[in-house]
Amino acid sequence: MTFLYPLGFLGLIGIPVLIGIYILKNKYTEQTVTSTYIWTLSEKFLKKRLPINKLVGLISLILQIICVIAVSILIAHPVLYIKGAANDYCFVLDGSGSMNAACADGTRFDAAKGEIASVIDESYNGSAYTLVFAGNTNDVIFENITDKERALTLLNGVASGNTAADVADAVSVAQGYFNENPSILTYLVTDKQVDLSENVTVITVGEQRENFALTGVGYTFADGTLTVTGKVLSYMSEAAVTVEVYLDGEETTESFKEIMVAFNEFTGLKEGEFSIGREVDKDASFTSVRVVIAKEDSLPQDNEIIIYDVAYENSCKTLLVSDKPFFILAMLKSIDNVTLTCVSCDKYAGQTGYDLYIFDSYGPSGSSGWTLPDDGAVWFFNPQSSLPNTGFSVQDEIGLTALSANDYKEDTALGKTLLQNVNKTPFTVAKYRQCRLYSGFTTILSANGNPVIFAGSNGYGNRQVVFAFDLHESDYALVADYITLSTNLLNYIFPTVLENSTYTCGETVTVNLLANSDSMRVAAPSGKINYFDGSNAVCEVTLTEIGTYTVTIVLNDKSVKTFNIYSSLPEEEADTVTTATASFSLSGEAGNEKRDGIYSELLIIFILFALIFAADWVVYCYEQYQLR
Amino acid sequence: MNGIAINEEFLQQVEALQTVVKNNVAGLFGGNHQSKTYGSSSEFADYRDYIAGDDITKIDWNAYARFEKLYLKLYLDERQLHTKIYIDASRSMGYGRGKKDIQALRFAATLAYLSISEMDKVSVFVIRENGLEEVISSMLGKESYVNEIGKLNQIEFYGDSRISEAILPSTVGFGDGLSVIISDFLTENDFENAVTYLVGKKRDVFCAQILSAEELNPKARGKLHFFDSENSDRFYRKNINREIIQAYKKALEYVQERIRNLCLSRGAEYLLIPADEPVTEVFFNKLVSMGVLK
Repeated sequence: MTFLYPLGFLGLIGIPVLIGIYILKNKYTEQTVTSTYIWTLSEKFLKKRLPINKLVGLISLILQIICVIAVSILIAHPVLYIKGAANDYCFVLDGSGSMNAACADGTRFDAAKGEIASVIDESYNGSAYTLVFAGNTNDVIFENITDKERALTLLNGVASGNTAADVADAVSVAQGYFNENPSILTYLVTDKQVDLSENVTVITVGEQRENFALTGVGYTFADGTLTVTGKVLSYMSEAAVTVEVYLDGEETTESFKEIMVAFNEFTGLKEGEFSIGREVDKDASFTSVRVVIAKEDSLPQDNEIIIYDVAYENSCKTLLVSDKPFFILAMLKSIDNVTLTCVSCDKYAGQTGYDLYIFDSYGPSGSSGWTLPDDGAVWFFNPQSSLPNTGFSVQDEIGLTALSANDYKEDTALGKTLLQNVNKTPFTVAKYRQCRLYSGFTTILSANGNPVIFAGSNGYGNRQVVFAFDLHESDYALVADYITLSTNLLNYIFPTVLENSTYTCGETVTVNLLANSDSMRVAAPSGKINYFDGSNAVCEVTLTEIGTYTVTIVLNDKSVKTFNIYSSLPEEEADTVTTATASFSLSGEAGNEKRDGIYSELLIIFILFALIFAADWVVYCYEQYQLR
Repeated sequence: MNGIAINEEFLQQVEALQTVVKNNVAGLFGGNHQSKTYGSSSEFADYRDYIAGDDITKIDWNAYARFEKLYLKLYLDERQLHTKIYIDASRSMGYGRGKKDIQALRFAATLAYLSISEMDKVSVFVIRENGLEEVISSMLGKESYVNEIGKLNQIEFYGDSRISEAILPSTVGFGDGLSVIISDFLTENDFENAVTYLVGKKRDVFCAQILSAEELNPKARGKLHFFDSENSDRFYRKNINREIIQAYKKALEYVQERIRNLCLSRGAEYLLIPADEPVTEVFFNKLVSMGVLK
């Protein structure tokens, strides 16, 4: 036996105090009475008492001293060990998406936690518990905890995952504990069928219930007709299933179709393909299509998919200011995600609100009041004059110049990126503007040391590209490199934020931040928000929930761009009735060394002493004051 | 003693009472009490056959006319009694707030008044240590009573008292009245011999035990060290609890029973008089119910 808090024995100081009080309290009071005759005579009428009864007068003191000793011992927190009565436990908890399937005890995950809790409850005090959670990543939730209540609290706080889980890898974590202590009892709690397990006790949870899932869902929109296609899988039985289609935030729809999910002997699956058409106004726009299985099953997470229009979300809103926009328009039309507005030079009046401003041979003097837009990227063709915040100055015109492959600059990382897939075909410019760069620019192409094409950031921090020549006075627009380089430059100026809008839960999504991003936040379906620094070019977000994630990029001018992505349940996790089996074993010889158990029923003893103490005082007070 | 024990108002209340002496005594003087022998009083007692030589004036001629036989009409003789009251004047009777001393004096004064009212003589003695002190000697008549009863108020209660040792050597008379012993009887000293002696002298004996409320139903609790008021060498030291109180009450019952049985066996009367009980209650209820008064 040991004591956790030996200082608790300071409470024994109370004993001499108690004795002192007792002595003071029990002093005999002297009193003269008329006669002591009857009092003395009464001795003969007292019941005969056992010798031990002589201690009755001291019972109060004795009990109180015992109580003080008991309370002191309790404060000192004695720990009684019972040799070899307790065990080490390691639990591997399957937290894959399929564990969310409903069963008799709520979900399979709830049932799994209940199984672990019951093992912990039934274990002897002093046992040590370790929990390995197999989810998107394998995490050790707690390790070698000997406090039952804490272990149960931590277990209760574990939430189920929505991703696929590498249970085998989690078992390998348990293998590590087994290697350290071969006597450890390892439990695997899962909904998977396990056909072989050595040194692992497998607890299978959940029963097989009906489950349907959507797969391969997509849509096309042409000539005012939306066509949604996909497939419904049934993992248990053939059934008639209704599939519904909703646009944007619709709450009701008439776009639905009942399909038969039947066994397909070629695929070996019970499946039913669907194609649902819907007439949509040509001028109307929609940004999302939601497809739903209108039938209850055990795992609702795989009954819905939302496809967001990623092209719409990624589109670059562009303003072209040009009197001769032919070559530029041709280039822009070859790029998908550009929403273009074109105005002639004389119509430009400082419009704002665009992602990209293209100024072609436009350059009124600074005295006209025109200033460089600060809310978007800028692309200059043949700049006419120097402007504040552009980061370069425009100087003399230089005449006919032939440019060859050697004039391309790939000595920087940005240069290499921008010249990717560029053939560097020689071309000629009739004349170009000599520009002097102040800072922050990378020269892509130069002639005799003068930058002809360069890219970087302007004084507002926005990305900026400059072609120092007029496309109409060059044959560059006629070579393929023009489109290739322009595409690279446009990706540099306005990168595609998200490649896709639909992902599988567990995937890591790469978000390309815009050049003028201040910050980014990602809101998960549960409402949980993660913040990212906007100074990074790329951010990675791991999807761990089912549903719509909202990515919000806050630009330097505090305007925001919002993107939606849908995270769906991994297809293998939708299969809740699989009969496929797996093997999970721990290699090595199991030992039989047990821990010392802890006897911790001290609270009952404490209550007992408290009752004795109280009863003692009640009896004392009754005799002293009530019996009159 | 605190204050005057006897006052006029109280005496008026008891004036109406009469003592009843169960045994007719052979007193030397005629009085209001009937003797066992036939005498010259006017109260009819019985008939007997006429014998030659009897006083012919006592022949009942009406009976002769009816039965044609001579019967002599007999009348009870009446004699004067001498009531002797013995008051225990030990310290235990006067200590504390129990008012046993007042109760004793009032009881004695009342008895004396009743005896005086019956034309009896009354003597009051104080028992102190092993002797008697005569406080009132052969008081007779109400005028004498008024003059002398105040002496009771001068009695002081102190020291010890040994009842038998005090009474046995004294002159107690023979068959001529009532002897009353007023005490708390809380003593190991002998009093039985005194009762036996008085009964042997053909006197009516009445033992009045006066106890205070605290003695009858003690309230004391806890760790107490009692000293005896008469002798500080006598003490009792105990944690007074329920068990002790129960034993005390048994001891008290034992003491009362012992006196009661003694009196019963000797043809004497015994009465417990709580000190806080009004004396009129004692006379009007208890003594009447016992047949001592009518």
